[in-house]
Amino acid sequence: MHTLIVIDQPPYGSWGGRESLDMAFSLAAFDQPVSLLFIDAGVLWLKQGQEPDGIYQKSVERNLAAASIFGVEALLAEATACHRFGLTDNNLINGVTRIENTGTTLQQYQHVVFSG
Amino acid sequence: MPADIHTFTLVITGAPYSSQAPETALGFARAVLRAGHTIDRVFLYGEGVHLASSLASPPSDETNWTRAWGDFLQEHSVPAVACIASALRRGLVNESEQKRYQLPASNLAAPFEIAGLGEWVESTIKSSVQSSRVIYFHGGA
Amino acid sequence: MHTLHIVSKPPGNTRFRECLGMMGEQDALLLTGNAVTALADSTITLPAMVYALQEDVRARAIDPRQDISGQVTFDDMVSLTIRAQRVISW
Repeated sequence: MHTLIVIDQPPYGSWGGRESLDMAFSLAAFDQPVSLLFIDAGVLWLKQGQEPDGIYQKSVERNLAAASIFGVEALLAEATACHRFGLTDNNLINGVTRIENTGTTLQQYQHVVFSG
Repeated sequence: MPADIHTFTLVITGAPYSSQAPETALGFARAVLRAGHTIDRVFLYGEGVHLASSLASPPSDETNWTRAWGDFLQEHSVPAVACIASALRRGLVNESEQKRYQLPASNLAAPFEIAGLGEWVESTIKSSVQSSRVIYFHGGA
Repeated sequence: MHTLHIVSKPPGNTRFRECLGMMGEQDALLLTGNAVTALADSTITLPAMVYALQEDVRARAIDPRQDISGQVTFDDMVSLTIRAQRVISW
């Protein structure tokens, strides 16, 4: 019974993405299978080099890069959104799988959840 | 009572007065019980925690969603939990959190309680059986 | 019905577009809250199986469209969530 948490909001402008990560890490902490899917501007969470000190926020880049250590099974990103926002092998954080057909991916999970 | 009784967990992520999420969820919750099903828990997450604020004071000719939900929960003995991380960030605290963080007031309306995401995880695990459902009510902006 | 997609956001929200783009052929759409304005928006093409929450349609004086599956009450909404193999809220 695998849960897919979907993030479609860009980082830092709202707390929705952070609260999505909290959901994913909580499921993982209880040994429940969970993956994260980034679509639309949500893929910007996965870009290297985030420096949010100037807006008094903490970077989540390191948390995401360590997601597999926390027990999150996969970091999935919509390939078209990556292309749209200029995300390539050179600037994506490690461990991201780009997927071509998001609709098909969505079909594979019993639970598909947005945090808000 | 239907032969196949289902158990629902309702997750509300939209705040009252900035979204319809609490009212859609309440209409749904009433219909769940009318059909003879059960609600094991209502979970408030993100902006949804504002529903549990005892300080909301809308004009008297508008629905007070905190009170409407509180009445429903008490009448049907349905537990409702606000996520502690979402709640503390947004200034929603019970007496024990007020003491812990030495805050000037507490504002958690009865019968809402504050607890961790573990409660939501438990509902999610339970919903792997066919007779159990977790339904999310998001904001509409 | 395989998946019931519940949408509460208006057609202009990216979430609405995402939902329509990812729906499977066996899936149904349930419009609630601001999402019911899609019924009044002549630029929106909706899938075959569409339901709209009657209370929200009436509240906004939206004319029911003949080409869609229909308006539902909260009681119907509960039945739909049980009939569906899974439910996704957008």
